[in-house]
Amino acid sequence: MKSFSVIFAPMKKLARFKEKETRRAFVAIFSGKMIGIIAILGAMIGVNMLIGGAANAQTATPIQHTANELVNPVNTIWVLVTAFLVFFMQAGFMALEAGFARSRESVNIMLECIFDTCLCGLLYWAFGFAFQFGTGNGFIGHTFFFLHGTPETYGTTGVAFLAFFLFQFAFADTCSTITSGAMVGRTSFKGDIYYSIAVSGFIYPIFAHWVWGPGGWLGGMTIHSLNTFTNGAVFRDFAGSTVVHTVGGFIALAGAIVLGPRLGRKFKRDGGGPLPPHDLNLGAIGTVILWFGWYGFNPGSTLSALDFTGIGRVAANTTLAACAGGIVAMFFVYPRSKKYDLGMACNGLLGGLVAITCPCYWVSPFGAVMIGAVAGIVVPLGVDLLERWRIDDPIGAVAVHGFAGIWGTLSLGLFATGFGVPTADGVDRTSLVKGLFYGGGWSQFKAQFVGSLTCVIVVFGVSLLVMYAVKKTVGLRISREAELEGLDLHEHGTPAYHMEFGQGMTYTTLTGVGSFLGGGSEARAGVGVEKDSS
Amino acid sequence: MVHLVTAVIKPFKLEEVKDALRGAGVLGMTVSEVQGYGRQGGKSETFRGGEYTVSFVPKVKLEILVDSSDVDKVIDIIAVTSKTGKIGDGKIWATDVDRVLRVRTGEAGADAL
Repeated sequence: MKSFSVIFAPMKKLARFKEKETRRAFVAIFSGKMIGIIAILGAMIGVNMLIGGAANAQTATPIQHTANELVNPVNTIWVLVTAFLVFFMQAGFMALEAGFARSRESVNIMLECIFDTCLCGLLYWAFGFAFQFGTGNGFIGHTFFFLHGTPETYGTTGVAFLAFFLFQFAFADTCSTITSGAMVGRTSFKGDIYYSIAVSGFIYPIFAHWVWGPGGWLGGMTIHSLNTFTNGAVFRDFAGSTVVHTVGGFIALAGAIVLGPRLGRKFKRDGGGPLPPHDLNLGAIGTVILWFGWYGFNPGSTLSALDFTGIGRVAANTTLAACAGGIVAMFFVYPRSKKYDLGMACNGLLGGLVAITCPCYWVSPFGAVMIGAVAGIVVPLGVDLLERWRIDDPIGAVAVHGFAGIWGTLSLGLFATGFGVPTADGVDRTSLVKGLFYGGGWSQFKAQFVGSLTCVIVVFGVSLLVMYAVKKTVGLRISREAELEGLDLHEHGTPAYHMEFGQGMTYTTLTGVGSFLGGGSEARAGVGVEKDSS
Repeated sequence: MVHLVTAVIKPFKLEEVKDALRGAGVLGMTVSEVQGYGRQGGKSETFRGGEYTVSFVPKVKLEILVDSSDVDKVIDIIAVTSKTGKIGDGKIWATDVDRVLRVRTGEAGADAL
């Protein structure tokens, strides 16, 4: 009882605020205090300037900066800013997926993305990052578990090591969220937890090690016969058309195949079509947020702001490919329905972004437009293909990330114009990346083909096994009744959209701290009793 | 003579019921999202660890104007297709309709269906 009186004493004071005098007194006291604080702060700054001036007068010799004292912070800021942008892509995915799905599974999509992000962060800290960037062999790394024994900066880039970790975590998180796109509406949350552990803890980091990790066998093309096949060209994936998007897209495909279509989903050849989206506004805004996030994804992958012409080129190429992809996709499907299709324009521009992710550093703006334009055709054709195969991909994740990812990866071998390879402090011009159309022959294309094919076979195979294993053990798909009722109600206990929140609802359980959140009539009555008796 | 058949059913059964009625030649219906309670009482939802009772459960209401001779058939079709056997399956009732008018043509009575 006493504790309640302590808690409610301020409430009584607050009640006095209803009186005019109290309010007037408060305003007088408050403004007086503020003036005092400002005066003190002003005095402190003034004094500081005096002392500072004196100190400067004594040490007139200019401070000598070594190069790294400037380079390292600049590069670190660049990597952090872009990491934040990539992280914000989560918001884009959430909006896009929820908007393109039905209203009955919105809460599920929101929680799925939030949970995946948290899970991915912890797994990546514990061992994902170690598998990906630890030193080891060409197939897996095994240092930096739990970020133990990390140096101050990453390699020669001068980027603070943990900033680099954050940047790479945002990438891993993106990959794991892409996966969920093709699986919305019917995956049980438990199944989601299990396959997410496999995706963000193992499949993504290990494959990424092959391409980006120290000594990765694809990134170095270390297998002799392959090296001969590609004439020494190594597989290049600048920001992850393959490593992030094809991987995510094909895990999604495996998931969609193992799950089967949503109940009531009829395919075109059976006289049906996709289930309609519940909020295209949300979907379109999510698409633009993703585009915005891509300005971190691609330009940030230089890991260095010193290569300023490089990041400028990457950002411009990224934009142009998205523009071409969106327009081409929209006009490509126009003849079918004689309508300007928002959903396909969104998917098309995302396809353009996915495609340009791999080659963005090495192609010209013209090349970027071409690559985006082709992606704008690959995406709708990919959607048709899945429809033909009776695979239910509610938001087009497989076509956008899987198929456009393959195209983007291959396109480097066609459109690369002969730029060097970005390093920490400039461009290494000893090995120029040239594609078929720019006099480089087939070598780079072959290397890209090897990388992309490896990704599709290995990742698709492994994730089919993982999805089947989850299906057979804990169960991947929700029950029929639950699916009809909607994932939100069945798995999460609440719909995303109440007709009238609060009306006709009463808060039934009063448990500890939970009670103050409710505000139902019972909760308020309980508080009233306590207050009166104290 | 025209009857109005009104049915309150579970929302996810709507597609099935509509297809069945269409197949049986019912040419039109009006559908609304409604909330209410019956024997089911309400249902519980959760938010931030607390549990709520929602007194009104979302349902779908169908209103179908049919020729009086078809009333039994239509009620049968709805009853069979919307049944899950669990609480909250809803109700179906039919009432006499005094006047019906098709706005576009001015037809009245059974001709307006």
